[in-house]
Amino acid sequence: MESTLVRRSDDGAPRTPAAELRLEWRVDGSLWATKGDEERPVSVRRCFPWSEPARHLSLRDSDEEEFALVRDPAELDPHSRAALEMALAVAGFVFEVTRVLEIDEEVEIRRWRVETRQGPRTFQTRLDDWPRTLPHGGLLIRDLAGDLYHLGRPAALDRHSRELLWAFVD
Amino acid sequence: MSTQQQLDDSLIARYTSQPTRLPAELRRQIEHAWHGAPVQLYALADLDQGLRLSEAWLALGPRHIAVAKRESDGWDVRSFERSRIEAVREAPGLSANTLTILGTPGEPALALLRYTHRQRRAFENIRFVLEPPYLARHLIDRVVRPAQAGTLSLARAGTIAWLAVAAMAAVYLIRQSAAHVRLRLMSILGEWVARDLRAELYEHIQHLSLAFFSRKRTGSLITRVSADTDRLWDFLAFGVVDVSLSLVMLAGLGAVLLTLDWRLGLVMTLPVPLFCWLIYRHSEDITRLFIRAWRKWSRVTDVLSDTIPGIRVVKAFNQERREIGRFGERNQDVTAEFNRIHRSWTTFWPLLMLGVHTMTVAVWVFAVPRLLGNGAQLPVGTFVSFLLYTTMFVGPIEVIGQMARTINRATTSAHRVFEVLDTEPEIRDVAEPVRLEPVHGRITFEHVTFGYDGVRQVLRGVSFDVVPGELIGLVGPSGGGKTTIVNLIARFYDVTGGTIRVDGVDLRRLETGHYRRQIGMVLQDPYLFHGTVLENIRYGLPEAPLSQVVVAAQAANAHDFITRLQHGYDTVVGERGHTLSGGERQRVSIARAILHDPRILILDEATSSLDTETEREIQQALERLVAGRTVFAIAHRLSTLRKASRLFVIEEGRLVEHGTHAELLAVVNGKYRRLYEMQVQLA
Repeated sequence: MESTLVRRSDDGAPRTPAAELRLEWRVDGSLWATKGDEERPVSVRRCFPWSEPARHLSLRDSDEEEFALVRDPAELDPHSRAALEMALAVAGFVFEVTRVLEIDEEVEIRRWRVETRQGPRTFQTRLDDWPRTLPHGGLLIRDLAGDLYHLGRPAALDRHSRELLWAFVD
Repeated sequence: MSTQQQLDDSLIARYTSQPTRLPAELRRQIEHAWHGAPVQLYALADLDQGLRLSEAWLALGPRHIAVAKRESDGWDVRSFERSRIEAVREAPGLSANTLTILGTPGEPALALLRYTHRQRRAFENIRFVLEPPYLARHLIDRVVRPAQAGTLSLARAGTIAWLAVAAMAAVYLIRQSAAHVRLRLMSILGEWVARDLRAELYEHIQHLSLAFFSRKRTGSLITRVSADTDRLWDFLAFGVVDVSLSLVMLAGLGAVLLTLDWRLGLVMTLPVPLFCWLIYRHSEDITRLFIRAWRKWSRVTDVLSDTIPGIRVVKAFNQERREIGRFGERNQDVTAEFNRIHRSWTTFWPLLMLGVHTMTVAVWVFAVPRLLGNGAQLPVGTFVSFLLYTTMFVGPIEVIGQMARTINRATTSAHRVFEVLDTEPEIRDVAEPVRLEPVHGRITFEHVTFGYDGVRQVLRGVSFDVVPGELIGLVGPSGGGKTTIVNLIARFYDVTGGTIRVDGVDLRRLETGHYRRQIGMVLQDPYLFHGTVLENIRYGLPEAPLSQVVVAAQAANAHDFITRLQHGYDTVVGERGHTLSGGERQRVSIARAILHDPRILILDEATSSLDTETEREIQQALERLVAGRTVFAIAHRLSTLRKASRLFVIEEGRLVEHGTHAELLAVVNGKYRRLYEMQVQLA
């Protein structure tokens, strides 16, 4: 991590100087971060993907070293902010479940059939792999392949989905 | 007529001067009036309406009842159908009793007979038969039969029958609704009591001092909080009500039995205290067995709480078979204890029931001669009634006997729960504790002595004065008392002699909760709770802003590895942080301490189990952490303490040397110098 890129705000929080950091997508399909004379292709990592997904964003280079930490995208110039948001959309992608159609239990496997914003999907989880309750009250399910399925508001789902999920939701 | 009957008749005639049997011509007259139906029961009413001695007979047939009064020219017989009877009342007097047989309400009584007590038994027999019928009998006698006979229209009979069925259904519904309400209320109430006990127990455990946890096994405590409180629910939900109801029923039915026939009543009720005593004695025995069983049960959970967290050690030493054996042994042990309880119970219960049934046999033994005419007269009706109540009387004894086991399970568990609740915390605040605001961090030991067991002294007259901001390195051989010093600074224990002062105030006078918030600890094996990295860093300050969490993690050299995790700070670290490496766990714990921002910091071998690179990173983090705080650092690797303001060499509970690194190295034949040289040589 380049500590020179981070300064402390009044509350002691790290802050990337907005004026010094610029972000843009280049023709090579990468997001580039420029800080003074230094520039690198970076990827975005959310520090708090579920507690505070829109803030505290770690920009990491190809060696997984932190190039800069963006406390709040609002501190960036509009062009950089738009570039960052595009990167965030890819980095933060998970399936958003809109309906649960079926939950079956087979030998050592739980089989889910759901509708997501991205389309219908079937996936499997282990029997003892329970959905994780997120800080905002949503649910996160991780399937056997490692894909994540997010249920933002389980209580707002249709009745059938809620009944199927009842055993998994507090 | 048998000889015995003749003898009885002659005795009755001789001593009572009354007819012994229904006169034969009257019997014929009545049975003629009933179209040949037999007289089944009869009783002599020996008083007339003016309470003069007279002779009248009440005769009972299958469908009729007849009242016959002797007239000068023969018998005046009035007969009516039993189906007309709505109620039968008996009004007892000092020597005259009145039996009133009532028909349609508002109309004159069907019959009114007076008789002396001598005739009472005979009338009770008839009354027993004539008592208002139960619903089923009512339906048969008043609806079904009249409908079959054509005296009641089918439509009317149907209406009455359905009303009766509806009433029966309503009775059952009400009864079961009441049972439902009772069971639900008691089971919910039981759950609330169990919940409150669990909460109180857990809260109390949180306030107990470390010495308590040294004495108690984890498995035993877990069993008390979980299983023992649950067993109390069992008792509260069902035991309390069932036993209470049974006791009430036992008393009520006992009174009924004694009223019906005091001799037989005594046969039934006299042994009850004996049964209660036997149940009590059995309870005493079984209590001991339960105490033993729960203790053995705790030993089973002890193995689980011991080996599951330490499974890596088990596997590393290939001790799976041994642990399986250890568990199997204890499992077998607890099974043997429960089987002992079952043996005791299954021996006691049939014997108890044998005793109960012996009472019923005894009732027959005493009743049969009387029924046959020997001894005090016992009307058949009374005896039948008595037997019905006897069956009901046995029920509560069975319930109490069965509940004895449930009660014992509950009471032995309750003892275990209250044993913990009654344990007083050894570290308690004084009446008006002092709250230091702010805490500067000056720590003074004045001739401090301490022993964990009150016998062997671990610290022997240790004295020192540490000013705020000093970094004190505690060095010396293992078992010398270094960890005890920091335990006393954190007030996990109270000194047995001497005084510890914080900013000049006796530690025992401080408000413990507030004081402990000023203390941070980084231990050799940092303990992370199951939860996210974020929750672990914020453990001491749950409301800390995320930005401060990031700052703390950066200062602890933890931010970089955390953000590499798929869920960043929202990554769940698993029980005790097992998904992280030792160095990562240590950095999270340092971040936790930095965020907590303590005035007094304790580092107990914080870097001893790490590789060189990780140690370097953590050393950097620690240097940021210790700045501006009073720090006590325990380290065996003396090179890590070079930057200490002073070093205290602790040996056999005494402060044997103190000074800076350079000062102590300059002491010829000094203990620190010898330790340092040994480490340098080994390196």
